[in-house]
Amino acid sequence: MKQEKLKESLNQLAGRTAEPAPPSLAENIKQRIPAKLAAHRGGMDTINIIIDLRVNKLTAAVVIIITMILLANFFGSRGLPGDGLFQDSKIVFQYILGASAGRNELSAVRSRYECLVNKGNEAVYYGDKTDVSDSNAVLLQWKLSDGQYKVITGDLQEKAVSAEELIRLQAEMLQKKIRR
Amino acid sequence: MEKSAKSKEHKTGIAHPEGEQENAAKGQEHLEEDQDSLAARLRTGNRSAATELVDGYYEQIYLYMRRLGHDRQMSEDLTQETFLRAWHHIGQLRDGKALNGWLYRIAGNVSKLYWRKRKATEPRGAKIIDVIETGETEHDKISRDEELHRLNEAVSRLPRKFGQAIVLHYMQHLTIAQAAQAAGVRQGTFKSRLNRALKVLRKQLI
Repeated sequence: MKQEKLKESLNQLAGRTAEPAPPSLAENIKQRIPAKLAAHRGGMDTINIIIDLRVNKLTAAVVIIITMILLANFFGSRGLPGDGLFQDSKIVFQYILGASAGRNELSAVRSRYECLVNKGNEAVYYGDKTDVSDSNAVLLQWKLSDGQYKVITGDLQEKAVSAEELIRLQAEMLQKKIRR
Repeated sequence: MEKSAKSKEHKTGIAHPEGEQENAAKGQEHLEEDQDSLAARLRTGNRSAATELVDGYYEQIYLYMRRLGHDRQMSEDLTQETFLRAWHHIGQLRDGKALNGWLYRIAGNVSKLYWRKRKATEPRGAKIIDVIETGETEHDKISRDEELHRLNEAVSRLPRKFGQAIVLHYMQHLTIAQAAQAAGVRQGTFKSRLNRALKVLRKQLI
């Protein structure tokens, strides 16, 4: 069969195999559009590419870190390869560390803190300074309208305490920190 | 009207009549502008843009799946899967010109993953619809149908990369640039893949 004739036949075949899609398909797809589509997040490109390649997360992290070290050595400075790589590796670390349950809980408290601050509450977050394994450690505190304070402790319990009680909890935290 | 007709043709994968090339070129410019704005809205996470994307492409992607050898039910499932992945990777969409290639690439990957998981399943050629053309004798119709069936079988028997190249360029009517992007290769590589696929088809159809 000649090339031109073959192309013409393929064109004909395209027309003859153009069967209509089921009408319900579009509706089914539309129903599954997420309420909030994720906008572009800078720094995720490298991770997405690696995930697309179906490489293990840990392997991906190792590859990125080795590449970063090599580039940093090659250019003689950490700044030169650009912030993108640095941001990517930070995200990879967060991604891996985020898998452990403790970190997930902590990040949930952190999100709560950000939410409270956005609403204009006087909130203080101690998650990055305290020992999260201590069930009495205050991870987050914010003031209530009646003068009391709401706290979230290391065991993730949320309770309302008076100003004196809060000072006592903070003093305990400080003492434990000094002892360590 | 012209634009909608063109859009319909593009959706169903039927080639444009030659006399309408100029109009088609103008329509193409509009389409590119539309796609640019659609891509920009998608990047910001606009939900109505997502609905437009579904309306504009679900038929094409469904047909692409059918032509890649999936049966009807599986083509529906894989089309849905393609769009789900598209929502997940919406941040990777660069600009409107890349919209076609981006979506087809996701669809290609979804199909590839399916075949990888079910190696025992054989691809089937898409179903050929019966059409009676005016002024055609019964004999002509039978011989033409037979030829198309043989070609359809031959396309479905091609190695997957070759089959994909043929389907993308000759059946889904993507340009070389779009088809190369959809296949995830450079244009030169895609052209050579296409030529090799045509050569194999020619040999099989002697």
